[in-house]
Amino acid sequence: MLIDDTIYGYAVARVKAMETHLLDQGQFERMINSSTTEEALKVLSETGYSAAVAELDDVHNFETILADELSYIFNIVLKISPIPELIGMLALRYDIHNLKVLFKAKFLGVKSDLFIPAGSMDLSKLENAVSEDNFLLLPEKLRRAANAINEDFMINRDPQIIDLILDRVLYDQLIDAAREHNAPFLEGLFVRQIDLTNLKTLIRVKRMGLSRDFLARVLLPNGTLAVDRLAAMIEEPLESLISMLAISDYADLVGEGVREWSEKGSASTLEKLSDDYITTYLKEGKWVPFGVEPLVGYLWAKEIEIKNIRIVLVGKINRLPAESIRERIRDAYI
Amino acid sequence: MEGIEIAMLGVALAVGLAGSGSAIGIGIVGQSACGLISEDPDKFGQTLLLQALPGTQGIYGLLVGFLIMQDIGIVGEELVELTVWQGYAFLMAALPIAIAGFSSGIYQGRVLASSINLIAKRPEEMGKGIVYAVMVETYAVFALLATILMLFGIDL
Repeated sequence: MLIDDTIYGYAVARVKAMETHLLDQGQFERMINSSTTEEALKVLSETGYSAAVAELDDVHNFETILADELSYIFNIVLKISPIPELIGMLALRYDIHNLKVLFKAKFLGVKSDLFIPAGSMDLSKLENAVSEDNFLLLPEKLRRAANAINEDFMINRDPQIIDLILDRVLYDQLIDAAREHNAPFLEGLFVRQIDLTNLKTLIRVKRMGLSRDFLARVLLPNGTLAVDRLAAMIEEPLESLISMLAISDYADLVGEGVREWSEKGSASTLEKLSDDYITTYLKEGKWVPFGVEPLVGYLWAKEIEIKNIRIVLVGKINRLPAESIRERIRDAYI
Repeated sequence: MEGIEIAMLGVALAVGLAGSGSAIGIGIVGQSACGLISEDPDKFGQTLLLQALPGTQGIYGLLVGFLIMQDIGIVGEELVELTVWQGYAFLMAALPIAIAGFSSGIYQGRVLASSINLIAKRPEEMGKGIVYAVMVETYAVFALLATILMLFGIDL
């Protein structure tokens, strides 16, 4: 219909106004160049985070600020979205994240508070379910995944299975939801995230020296890169992965990120380039006047901002040189 | 139908369709404006100006409606006796502003909703946002011109 999409007018305009409050390059530069963590926090206290920073008793608890901010923003965007299902499906990512944290805490015996309280499921309910091994309250697909994790861990004692199983449930459901709601832009986002996850899985599995069968089982379907072609790469040197992807969208990212990973054993460049790649994709929808694109883009921009704040603060706490903090900072969406 | 009724249909279309275009256009801009104002109430003045722009099509339609009503004596002393063909002539003359007023009002509203997004980030660029909307306005003005020329050409 001619005017149907204008239901997005309010939400898009509001998100555009909210975008102006995102931290800019200059503010990040000042945080990076500050000599102490306290000084970096002072920069943060001049922004929208001021109230939360004022209440912070210990610098090391800054994660709570970031988690609260993310769930606050997510709930606003969810509330103003004229088709809440499209934004609502993104909440599953936080549920899965929280489940990962809970399972890892349980299997590795460490306590963690890196929860994101923006998921669709009550956090305490998830906590109880994992600690008591009772997943009856979870939706069916999550329940089956949780049981599978428990069974696999009993046999193999390998916590890596948590990420692999939960990522698969996550992306299967996201792709289904995007197709069901006929949201090609979201599907495009998920497909790209699947490709990037698969590339990282391939390199990780290869470095762990595991078999091709194992890799073929854990690679996610629905990506643009064929699973069997990726699985075959495990027997080749990493350089041939670079040449295989030379004409794909992932050429630069794989070239630079993989080289860094095989030389220094650090995935941080690949992680940064992956995030930048998604940012570039979402920027394509930034100026859509009526549609879900700017809402998804803004949520991503907020996640990137939070990631960048974390990188700076962790870097400051650990007294990393400014240069090595700067090279990890993700590109801005705005 | 007599000529007078056919001419009245022209009045109804000019005022009704062009007015609907304006109403939809203003409505679209209003939704976007509310989104911006909920974050940044200081921009109320700017958004009000932008929201008013798609109102012109409705005014053009009303103007044409009045011109026809005057010609045929609906407003005035007494009704003019119209032949069926004269009635059709008034109806045809009303169509350009009715059609172009309807569509340009809506599309102008869409452009202006984007202009609201523009001033959310760059309030100083409001003029450019208006210029884009005025490009749409051109075609409502052309339609009004054609309608008025046609009206003046009708012999009573």
